Amino acid sequence: MCSVTKEQVYDELRTIIDPEVGFNLVEMGLIYDVEVDDSCNVVITMTLSTKACPLHQMIHQWVEDAPKRIDEVNEVTANIVWEPEWNISMAEDNVKQALGSL
Amino acid sequence: MFSISKDYAPPFKMIEPFFKFGAIAYLISIISFLFFNVDVSLLDLKVVGWVHMFLLSFVMIVIFGAMAQLIPVALEIGHYNVDYYKPIFLTLSIGSVLMVLGFWINSSLLPYGGAIVLVSMVLFLYETLKTLKKTDSNTLTVRCIKGGNIFLTVAIVIGFLMALSISLGFNIDFNRFLPIHIVLVLVGYVTITVIGMSMILLPMFGLAHGYDGSDVELSFKILVGSIILFSIFRLLAWNMLSYIAIVSMLVGIGLYLRQLLTLYKVRARKINDIWYMHIYTAFISLAAVVVLVLLWLLFDSDAILKTALWLFLIGFFVFVINGHLIKIIPFLVWFERFSPLVGKKKVPMLHEMLPSKEVDISFWLSLAGLVSGALGLLYSSDTLFKGGVSLLVFGALFMLKTVNFILDFKPEE
Repeated sequence: MCSVTKEQVYDELRTIIDPEVGFNLVEMGLIYDVEVDDSCNVVITMTLSTKACPLHQMIHQWVEDAPKRIDEVNEVTANIVWEPEWNISMAEDNVKQALGSL
Repeated sequence: MFSISKDYAPPFKMIEPFFKFGAIAYLISIISFLFFNVDVSLLDLKVVGWVHMFLLSFVMIVIFGAMAQLIPVALEIGHYNVDYYKPIFLTLSIGSVLMVLGFWINSSLLPYGGAIVLVSMVLFLYETLKTLKKTDSNTLTVRCIKGGNIFLTVAIVIGFLMALSISLGFNIDFNRFLPIHIVLVLVGYVTITVIGMSMILLPMFGLAHGYDGSDVELSFKILVGSIILFSIFRLLAWNMLSYIAIVSMLVGIGLYLRQLLTLYKVRARKINDIWYMHIYTAFISLAAVVVLVLLWLLFDSDAILKTALWLFLIGFFVFVINGHLIKIIPFLVWFERFSPLVGKKKVPMLHEMLPSKEVDISFWLSLAGLVSGALGLLYSSDTLFKGGVSLLVFGALFMLKTVNFILDFKPEE
């Protein structure tokens, strides 16, 4: 049985900051789901704010690396999806406020 | 799962000279404005030389450098061979200087400069077309890159023939070919390229989603059709019909502006930062150009035509380019020097890599210079025009300082 929680994974993902907007991926609402199985393998479903993101590959790598900082975690897979398409309503209120959208 | 390109950012060292050269050329081209009076003829070889310095040494060189970065982003594939950008820079920088000297000092230099610029353009076209062949994508941006490059090819062939005729003295009808050359470069290449790239960059930076893109689709079709028709009509010397083609181009640009308004309304990032200020100035200038060209067609006024060209070159081109330089260069520097440090030490945000005071000063001086220069040309006042140019010179100096600051931005030891 794996003792790693979703919250621990989210906490690690909160350390990844998009250098263009200055917010972390979780508060931007770019992480759609996190699953942790009994063998401590992590599957992350995520999106990006645009398909043309020049940091696409790098952000994907950061997301796969971040949960590995938790001792028990084995494999990490990050799947980038485009449905549903990201929009500002998915972001946390502090992001909306900072961008002037609230 | 979306496939990921490994070549989204070209080697920084390869692209850096494009931006350095462009910023210096911009400063020199603005300084050289001080030697013109408002009553100068647009066909004066000094003006023609200036236009080539501005367009080749600043606009084209910055666009080519930016395309090295933006083509993979727009097409979601890597370059055919990004190493082509080394000889592209070398030939474009040397060729453009020789061409300007050819117009200003010694016309025998023109064919040499023209031939070297031609080589540069051919290399750029070859690399771009080979890259385009790698993708099945047919988005508006892809079509803009394809269309723009075809227009550029025809434009440079016509330009080269005209350069040969000036230096070798053979006869070519400038009344027919010069307007075609101008429209193909300014509208066919630069404007269509800006339209294509803006439909990637503006939603990306403004976080705009879920909008209807039909206006820009129609705008592209109208622009392509009217540029082709204009070229045919001028070639056949059907001047009246060529004016109708110009009106049709203005309709195309108007639709593009309406598309931008749609993007503006749905953007999530509503904070008006310095990038937005540049973009607002660029597109308000473009809207003013549409109105002024219509007035020029009605009243055939030299002052109105000069004001329209000023707003097109300085208002639209300069502000759209400088606005994106302060986005693209920090990204390239960050990608090269800071991305390997992510997770190991604190890395800066992109906006923290800008010297905000210098950028602000550059913007406001340039804006004041743009307005004063436009009024000077409209009311035929040398005082207003040269006052505006002086402000632009200082704006360009601060822009050069900004570019150098970003390029020198390094991690603390």
